[in-house]
Amino acid sequence: MIESMLVFGLVNSAVLMLLALGFSLTFGLSGVANFSHGGIYLFAGYLAYFLLKMGLPYFIAVVLTIFITALLGAAIYKLIVIRVRGIVLNEVIATFAIGICMLEFFRWLGFVTYEYSLPYIARGRFTIFETTLDYQRSLIIVVALLLAVFLWFFTHRTKTGLALLGMAQDEYTALAVGIDSDWAATYSFAIGGAFAAIAAVMILPLGIININIGYEVLLIALAVTVLGGLESTKGLILACIILGYAQVITSTFFAPHWKEAVYLAAILIVLAVKPSGLLGKFKELEERV
Amino acid sequence: MLDVKNLMIFYENALAVNNLNLDVKKGEIVGVFGSNSAGKTTLMNTVAGLTLHMKFREHRKGGQRITIVGQQNFEGEDISNRSPNDRVKKGIVLCRERHPVFRDLSVEENLQLGGFLIKEQVKVQESIDLVYNIFPPLTKLKSRRAGLCSGGEQEMIAIGMALVARPKLLLLDEPLLGLSPVMQAIVVQALKDIRSLEVTVLLTEQYARPIMPHIDRGFIIENGTLIMSGTKEELMDNPEVMSAYFGM
Repeated sequence: MIESMLVFGLVNSAVLMLLALGFSLTFGLSGVANFSHGGIYLFAGYLAYFLLKMGLPYFIAVVLTIFITALLGAAIYKLIVIRVRGIVLNEVIATFAIGICMLEFFRWLGFVTYEYSLPYIARGRFTIFETTLDYQRSLIIVVALLLAVFLWFFTHRTKTGLALLGMAQDEYTALAVGIDSDWAATYSFAIGGAFAAIAAVMILPLGIININIGYEVLLIALAVTVLGGLESTKGLILACIILGYAQVITSTFFAPHWKEAVYLAAILIVLAVKPSGLLGKFKELEERV
Repeated sequence: MLDVKNLMIFYENALAVNNLNLDVKKGEIVGVFGSNSAGKTTLMNTVAGLTLHMKFREHRKGGQRITIVGQQNFEGEDISNRSPNDRVKKGIVLCRERHPVFRDLSVEENLQLGGFLIKEQVKVQESIDLVYNIFPPLTKLKSRRAGLCSGGEQEMIAIGMALVARPKLLLLDEPLLGLSPVMQAIVVQALKDIRSLEVTVLLTEQYARPIMPHIDRGFIIENGTLIMSGTKEELMDNPEVMSAYFGM
């Protein structure tokens, strides 16, 4: 049993990480909590479904989905969030409203039946540590790791990534060396959208596409970001591992429906004990200097 | 090169800069001196376009009302309505007060970001090497996180960042603020190096003494109003100026 808990805990952590990465990235880079993340995630799911239904090859459909969802993210910033930028409460209300609109719009369109599901990338299974694991779940782990590496590379080794980090740390200094703040925020919303699309394409095949997943994704993203601390990739990974294993443990020893309580408990405990998160480094550094 | 005409800036109804006329010619080092709240930083931020950005931002969220009146000309072109990154492209680069750096990035990455708008990586690397020549202490700190550097080191990084952007007109806002005399000497020495790069400099300072020997002309402002201007010699010969800004 221990072996299967270890393996499925890892799968769970990878799922959480894919779901939270886009939200956490947008939050870390532009300072805007994009509460429409769940809506964007489902948008990507339905988009991929319809593109595949149109008969496009799998690879092209996925690339198109990622690209269009990134554009959607950018559009959300350019058309709506830009007007309330800087007023935190309004940003939250605006993005939350967009998210709910999208989700309930899909419900209204009637996208709720069993036909809405995405295909596996690879079918089949193998046995590891006496646990049977299917290829899709193992691919999720690989993609989560690849995205983490890509993210580190992007933010530290490319000019654009550095500029986004710079804008997140000191807006006016970034402006003074010629980085445009709306450009940076649009970019970070687009990356957030692209990451949500990657997550959707990887994770949604595990079940049918369900409107309520959208709300759950938002809760997961929020829990992981709060637990891990802002703008810290290591914190994000650590938070995913903690939450992922905590879920497996609660659903093994208590009952599966307690799984959801783990997120809420994590948010509450972290906010009460260490509001900057496990590895929230901004405040820490300020205290040291 | 830079020509500011009848500049007035209001934050709500408070007057920060009052009918200011100021010009900088190519190749000069010009100083603007004044006490706290004289409007020095507002002036610098306005020339760099940051005040305009702040104005749009505040307007967008219905906050403070900022009014900018008057003309700002750079190389014969009116830049009053240009965005900050447009102005950086034209060659106006500001190094803000209190040595702001990107604190979670390494020193090298900070300098890299200075060259954000420069397409050729080779040129950026050249400029970074030049900065290490001007500020040798930075060479040892390349991979240190900028937030953990001392104030003096951060000032060097901040000036370095501005230099990597290859300015025609470098704006230095209180470069000596809060630095030890040793660090001040390094920054003042750097000013000479910057002049030899044929970069025009407009700088502000509260306490004029360490910087005075290195400027060509100076402006003295009080409560946003220009009260005196002249060459270095004219300012040094004025007893009131001497007592107010040099502590003599």
